[in-house]
Amino acid sequence: MTQFLDYVLGGIGSGAIIALMALALVLTWRATRVVNFAQVGQAMFTTFIALSIQTLTGSWFIALIGAIVAGAILGVIVQYLVLRPVKRMDTSGAIIATFGVLIALQAAAGMIWGGDSQAYPQPFSNTAISLFGREWPLSVYDLVVIGFAGVLVVGLTLLFTRTSLGLSMRATAFNPEVARLSGVRVGRTLTIGWALAGVVGAVAGVLVAPTSAISPNSFDILLVFAFTAAVIGGLDSLIGAVALGIGTGLILSVVSGYSDSSNAPVVALVLLALNLAIKPEGIFGHNSARSV
Amino acid sequence: MPGSETLVELTDIRIKLSGLQILDGVSITVPQGKVTGLIGPNGAGKTTVFNVMSGFLKPDSGTVAFEGRALKRIRAHRLTKMGISRTLQGVGLFATLSALENVMIGGSSHVRSGLLSQSLAMPWTDIETERLRVKALAALAELGIEDQAGRLPSELPYPIQKKVALARALVSDPKVLLLDEPAGGIGAPDMAELERLIRSWVPERTILLVEHHMELVMSVCDLIWVLDAGKVIASGTPDEVRNNPAVLAAYLGEEGAA
Amino acid sequence: MRDLMRLPGARLIQHALLAFAAWAVLMWVNGSVDELTNYYLALIAMYATAMFGMVILVGLSGQVSLGSGALMAIGGYIFALTTLNWQYIPLTSIPMNGVWAMLFAAIGGVVFGLVIGLLGARLTGPYLAGLTLGIAVGIPAIANRFPGLFGGETGLQLTVPYPDGGYPAVAEASGEQFVTELPTSQDALPSAGASAGAGDLLTSDNFPSGDASALPSVAPGDLLTADNFPSADPSAMASVAPGDLLTVDSFPSAGATPEASSLDVSVLDPSTGTGTDGVDLGFVLERWEASLAIAVACIVGFIALNLVRGRQGRVWRAVRDDPVAAAVSGISPAGSKVTAFMVSSVFASLAGAVFVQILAYVGPGAFGLGLSLSLLVGIVLGGRSSLVGAVIGAVLLVWLPEFVLGLAGDRGWDEQVTNNAPNLIYGLLVVLVVLVAPGGIVGTLQALVGRIFKRTARSG
Repeated sequence: MTQFLDYVLGGIGSGAIIALMALALVLTWRATRVVNFAQVGQAMFTTFIALSIQTLTGSWFIALIGAIVAGAILGVIVQYLVLRPVKRMDTSGAIIATFGVLIALQAAAGMIWGGDSQAYPQPFSNTAISLFGREWPLSVYDLVVIGFAGVLVVGLTLLFTRTSLGLSMRATAFNPEVARLSGVRVGRTLTIGWALAGVVGAVAGVLVAPTSAISPNSFDILLVFAFTAAVIGGLDSLIGAVALGIGTGLILSVVSGYSDSSNAPVVALVLLALNLAIKPEGIFGHNSARSV
Repeated sequence: MPGSETLVELTDIRIKLSGLQILDGVSITVPQGKVTGLIGPNGAGKTTVFNVMSGFLKPDSGTVAFEGRALKRIRAHRLTKMGISRTLQGVGLFATLSALENVMIGGSSHVRSGLLSQSLAMPWTDIETERLRVKALAALAELGIEDQAGRLPSELPYPIQKKVALARALVSDPKVLLLDEPAGGIGAPDMAELERLIRSWVPERTILLVEHHMELVMSVCDLIWVLDAGKVIASGTPDEVRNNPAVLAAYLGEEGAA
Repeated sequence: MRDLMRLPGARLIQHALLAFAAWAVLMWVNGSVDELTNYYLALIAMYATAMFGMVILVGLSGQVSLGSGALMAIGGYIFALTTLNWQYIPLTSIPMNGVWAMLFAAIGGVVFGLVIGLLGARLTGPYLAGLTLGIAVGIPAIANRFPGLFGGETGLQLTVPYPDGGYPAVAEASGEQFVTELPTSQDALPSAGASAGAGDLLTSDNFPSGDASALPSVAPGDLLTADNFPSADPSAMASVAPGDLLTVDSFPSAGATPEASSLDVSVLDPSTGTGTDGVDLGFVLERWEASLAIAVACIVGFIALNLVRGRQGRVWRAVRDDPVAAAVSGISPAGSKVTAFMVSSVFASLAGAVFVQILAYVGPGAFGLGLSLSLLVGIVLGGRSSLVGAVIGAVLLVWLPEFVLGLAGDRGWDEQVTNNAPNLIYGLLVVLVVLVAPGGIVGTLQALVGRIFKRTARSG
């Protein structure tokens, strides 16, 4: 039982990262009804930028700021140059375009930084905390990750509920036409949504890199986990993405603990398939995932 | 209606969608070989009735009976096989298929050959396709648009598009034809032709018509059902309905639209 | 002429002639080019096979799927496992051969296509893309989980089953073997097709012995070392230290080892296809692989033509254009989508079975997300709903990396740049095509031709 609890606790850190990436997917979905499959590609790219800054300045924090700025810019570029023109067309086109961006970003990263895995410096202690006479399956770094995730989630919640920008974003997500008629600058609001998603993804990338190293496609698997969490959470629910992201992290941690970490993708796939077969609109969502 | 059998019968249909009672105990009969109209102000539930009949919506309670048999679970794509065909609001044509191909798709219920014989292009699939093509051309000819067979929907004017959609619904040889706003968006000359066409289909076919255009409804229908707020408020011949005070009350303020 | 085409069976004859003509031309090419070109030909035919299915699934039925790479893996593993483990088809006394293995791969494709299709057919765009993304990542991962059966991360070596007449298996060792050039998930194309045979590793499978009992101490697929090599005469191993891997170079010459000489082995000269002993064996591995891939592509292409240019193609397009209208026209939208999944996964499975024969290897690394993305890139560039587009896309997938490699050689580019340039171009091109020419190369050409025709019709 203690072992089980240890595995559960050990999953909170990775769960927080999955939650952030799922949150980024939900933000773009809410803004433009597009699942941005390039999101992890953007996060990978900004994390490489952060690594370069870190190597240059030696500061983890400056690197994080750099990643955040780059994430916002990249989000705006992708939305403005790619998704905005494609919006009028079929959904197939939008989906394919995001995969095109993913392929291009991974190749560009490979060109600039090489295809091999590179270690990302670990800014905080990554050893298990000893407290109350036992070792806990959490490190200081895990707590930092959880802290960042918490701050971002609270910040986003405040943004959406307490600011006029948040109101515009919710109105646009609910009904772009009505929002436009009410004086919301819809195009700008959508772009801000993508920038926010880019920021959240960038933070997730920098946070996950020290635990897994970084290469052009090392985040592919994170995309599967995050998509699973976002879809089960309902795809348009921020709370759903966070809850299911952490939940996915816990489940995968338990599975990895009792069997082997290479089971994780298969387990995520099974969770996703079960969800889509039984309750495709997700737990917190109102989307219709099914056609006729 | 005296002198004719009931072909379709809806009994006490109730359906609630996101908290709203859209249909609240609707019972309607459609007599064989006649034109029946279903009218009512916007939001009365007319299209919902069609969607229940087509299997797109499952009612919370109530039954739909066809030829005296209650249908347990209606699947939209099985209807044409049973002899029920419908058009959609607007046109609902397949954008990348020519007019002829659109109509050929409407005859899908006549197709027997399976995937294996299709993938080997067995000669009988060609015979089937040819038969379907001839039938589809005949349906287009019946509406006087066979010369447009090779055009894509986007190349056709709106009234012709609506006719292609009609031909697609006709090609399956339906016993009953559900027409969802056939007059929507078309002008006076086309309206007269539509009226003529609908008259020409009875009594071989039974027609159920949802329509906003009152003139058409009043002139072409044998029997009219009036819905308001999910309930049947009146029924009868055009004259009876026209003079029903409940109908007038429901339509007050809607006259402009009609 | 048009009336003639409506005669029953005319379509069958036309498509069969087309497929046969394509086969004949390609076989002529197959016989007249060098083995490197044949190797590319094999890859192109293999990609085209899978992409015919993608045209049906993504183009005609409108379901963006990334599952094709995983379905290729399924076909590949079924082919490899049945040929490696079965002497006879279970419960019968029919001896196994390559054709049966391909058939089993196809059946596997039907089953998995049905399962994925039933799960995915009712889902809308992004949900389906995400689910198939999970499948693309998850199914190859399963191979890692069962190293005993699937060979784990390293995969399984595989002797390509040659037709009767006894092509000597040594061809594999002396000819090209691409195990060292495994496609990574980043770059699904085995890039250096020309890697020479000399220095290739010998395994118990490609060891030039028709008789498995000659190697009692090794399991199928094991690498041969100086230790487990069943030579009675250790002195023959003079040049290798114990434990060293045996390569074509270090392998004791035929004269020194009695076992080897008794096997009547002719070492092939890869450049001419003749044995070193001067006897024309008429066999070049690449030629055989290419002819196999061509045959499969032509058969699959024939079936795809029948479907696309027949009623089924019309039905798929109808459901893609407007599922509600299709339903009221008497078509089950879900059913037609499941059909598209099944057909495309059979094609993908067959392509996978060809792929593992080209690689002489099956492993999860060959079937990663990169492969699925490549297939998607291929059909989008070629033209999403066109079979010709699929062929053009397949040529692009094989040609572009070679073109870039040539360019890099001339300009002296960094290896890092060269390796990633093709994917960068693919990614940017995909975005560009979606934005300005959704019909891909074929769709754009058709539009151009149509415009010219209209103009001439008007002026004339």
